[in-house]
Amino acid sequence: MPIWMELTVLMLVAYAAGLALGWLLWKGRRKGSETDG
Amino acid sequence: MAAISRETLAVTLGAAIVVAIAVAGAGATGPRLAASLSEQAKVAIKQAGGAPVTARFTTANGWPTRHPLLSGGETLGEGTRARVARAIGAIPGVADIRWADGTTLAKGTEATPRPAVCQEDVAGLLRARTIHFEEGSSRIDQASQTLLDEVAAALRPCLGSIIGITGHTDSSGPEPGNLALSRLRADAVRDALLRRGIPADGLRTSGVGSRVPVEGLDPDDPANRRIEFSVVATEPIKPTPVDTPGPR
Repeated sequence: MPIWMELTVLMLVAYAAGLALGWLLWKGRRKGSETDG
Repeated sequence: MAAISRETLAVTLGAAIVVAIAVAGAGATGPRLAASLSEQAKVAIKQAGGAPVTARFTTANGWPTRHPLLSGGETLGEGTRARVARAIGAIPGVADIRWADGTTLAKGTEATPRPAVCQEDVAGLLRARTIHFEEGSSRIDQASQTLLDEVAAALRPCLGSIIGITGHTDSSGPEPGNLALSRLRADAVRDALLRRGIPADGLRTSGVGSRVPVEGLDPDDPANRRIEFSVVATEPIKPTPVDTPGPR
């Protein structure tokens, strides 16, 4: 496997993990604000 | 609906940017990394005694890679090939080693290299050089320590076999003393190998005094003072996963 492909896969996985984490945080915060309101 | 489309677009655009950064980054650093790994592999191959082997760090398309393809080692014994693969696998950054001629080592199949290969490797080492002892003593000469390192490395592929270490002396001096000395010398070599990580249960020592001189030599020739190794029982080893290490 060429280096560019390995790096692409690695960075896409990191990007997806970042997105998932961000979405979970956003969802949690939204749920919390709904309860408070 | 429009909001979802905007989010999808943002995520897709983000992914495209990530891919672009990865490709550009690999383009900028990949060739240098592959060249560096290639240089280190050359040194490792030389040190492992696999001189005809070459490690190619480019794919069939010419792209730099961390997964080397080894070629040119067709004439080498399995022990030496395993040693070369291990040496290259130990270089930080190298992953998933393969042999161009497709071997048991690369694919991890059930082939069984002959343990006698170790005996040949060790005999080859000791053909040109000898483990020296201080005169009348079982203390190994300081200059022979490097040779013992190499002997231990050559024996490592044979772990699981029983390795015989036989001490010999020349015929000067009384034979009972020679016999005892030859045993002590064999024991000293065994102890030195133990210190180098060869397990004790695979080593058997014996001494034959001056009874078995080197063929063609006078019994009193000092060249008869020597240590011989033999693989006296065999338990075939299987190719190790070291040959195909995972990404680091």
